[in-house]
Amino acid sequence: MNSEGKTASVPQLAAGDDASLLAELQSGNQPPMATLYDRYSRLVYSVALRVLREPTAAEDVLQEVFMQLWRNPDSFTAARGALGAWLAVVARNRSIDVLRRRRTATSVDDLPLVAPGNLADEAERNTLMQRARASIQQLPRDQRKMLEMAFFDGLTHSEIAEMTGDPLGTVKTRIRTALLSLRKAFQP
Amino acid sequence: MSNSRPTPPTATAPPLGGHPSPEDLVLFAMQLFPVEQAETIERHSAHCSACREELGRIHGDLAAVALSADPVAPSDAARERLLAQVAREKKAVTAAASKSALQAAPKPTPEPAPRPLADFGRGKGSTLIPEPVVIASSRRPPIYEWVGWAFAAAFAIAAVVLYGRHRTLEESIATQASEIQRLNARAADSHQLMDALTDPQAVRATLTPKTPPRGPIGGVTYNPQKGALVFLASNLDPVQVYKTYELWVIPADGSAPIPAGTFHPDEHGSASVIMPNLPKGVDAKMFAVTIEDAGGSDKPTKPIIMAGS
Repeated sequence: MNSEGKTASVPQLAAGDDASLLAELQSGNQPPMATLYDRYSRLVYSVALRVLREPTAAEDVLQEVFMQLWRNPDSFTAARGALGAWLAVVARNRSIDVLRRRRTATSVDDLPLVAPGNLADEAERNTLMQRARASIQQLPRDQRKMLEMAFFDGLTHSEIAEMTGDPLGTVKTRIRTALLSLRKAFQP
Repeated sequence: MSNSRPTPPTATAPPLGGHPSPEDLVLFAMQLFPVEQAETIERHSAHCSACREELGRIHGDLAAVALSADPVAPSDAARERLLAQVAREKKAVTAAASKSALQAAPKPTPEPAPRPLADFGRGKGSTLIPEPVVIASSRRPPIYEWVGWAFAAAFAIAAVVLYGRHRTLEESIATQASEIQRLNARAADSHQLMDALTDPQAVRATLTPKTPPRGPIGGVTYNPQKGALVFLASNLDPVQVYKTYELWVIPADGSAPIPAGTFHPDEHGSASVIMPNLPKGVDAKMFAVTIEDAGGSDKPTKPIIMAGS
């Protein structure tokens, strides 16, 4: 990617901005909600749509995730990482819950997260999204396929092994190796 | 599971008897384990800082995977729906808060009545001086003091309980209002769908395979004035997980094909595209289906899987 330098130069202001918006939410103020929605709705919706492949269901997840934020802004704390990254993971987990027609399994109060970058800044958010897509595309085909089957389709390693004919251990290893490659790609 | 190992889990860590293996932590973070197995790891990681740190890193990695989803903006209606819901819940919370504030507020203390006898012969303002009678009244037997405090405590407990119940009811009402709004939105979608299907101006087309007679087949109902489209298909082959079918509207005026939604067939080979976002007033020459990369494409990629007019 051509924007590695940009990432490093983004100041902490935008992340702090998320924190102050969350603090206002805790006071019951409504305007910060619109700001946070405008900032992260595309990310949350894209993840939900990628998992559910159905716009109405994806919008339901979008609504649910942001209402969760509105009702319990303290369920997210800055210590857990970037708000955008947290919302993206929660959106994925909610969508998988919907996909599997199961009760919510996500414990949103207990989701430690080392953020991949500062998603509060729009320019960096776009850069990180591009970098994520490029990094995924560069993964070996089998690794990418299994990672996407697990993450976006919510298939268990047993289901993936059954579908692909690969041994369970191979499936687990490929998924982790794919994640480690992705982690490396995001390291400064 | 044991907490005795001081080092964080690595690729060489044994999968059993100590930390969960790094591979299992990944699956746990993705919520892909059965409940029992997940609970075992949850219990372990609750007391193992190394595993919690690794889980934090894995969640960060998963956020990076989430970022790879093709960006799609939600509809404007979704924004309005959310903010309307937020406004409604805000009002509910505000009302609950003001009510509880009223309950909690101390009642105004009445001004002490003038005491004519005490005032007699004294200057203005001297009524503020405590009278011996008042001092005497504060020396009540201890039992009366405790009765007063007991009443106060009982009222305070009752107020807290009532406030808690009130909050629960408010939250329940807010949740139900949200559900009603969601159902209304769905009902509106269904109404729109019925309109599109039953409108006499709707164009209907059957899409058949170009070569073999027993292949995928699809049908389109399209209303160009309303930009409404319903597509149903069957006998579709599954596509690879990073590929998707995509429907196209080919405009009659020769302009570029318009993407009309991506879809994946279910286990029976059936799929549908219901009311995608399409511009209004575009007459269609034909409809076509291609296979594109996951997330869809702006331009159709050959070969055309199905086409029809």
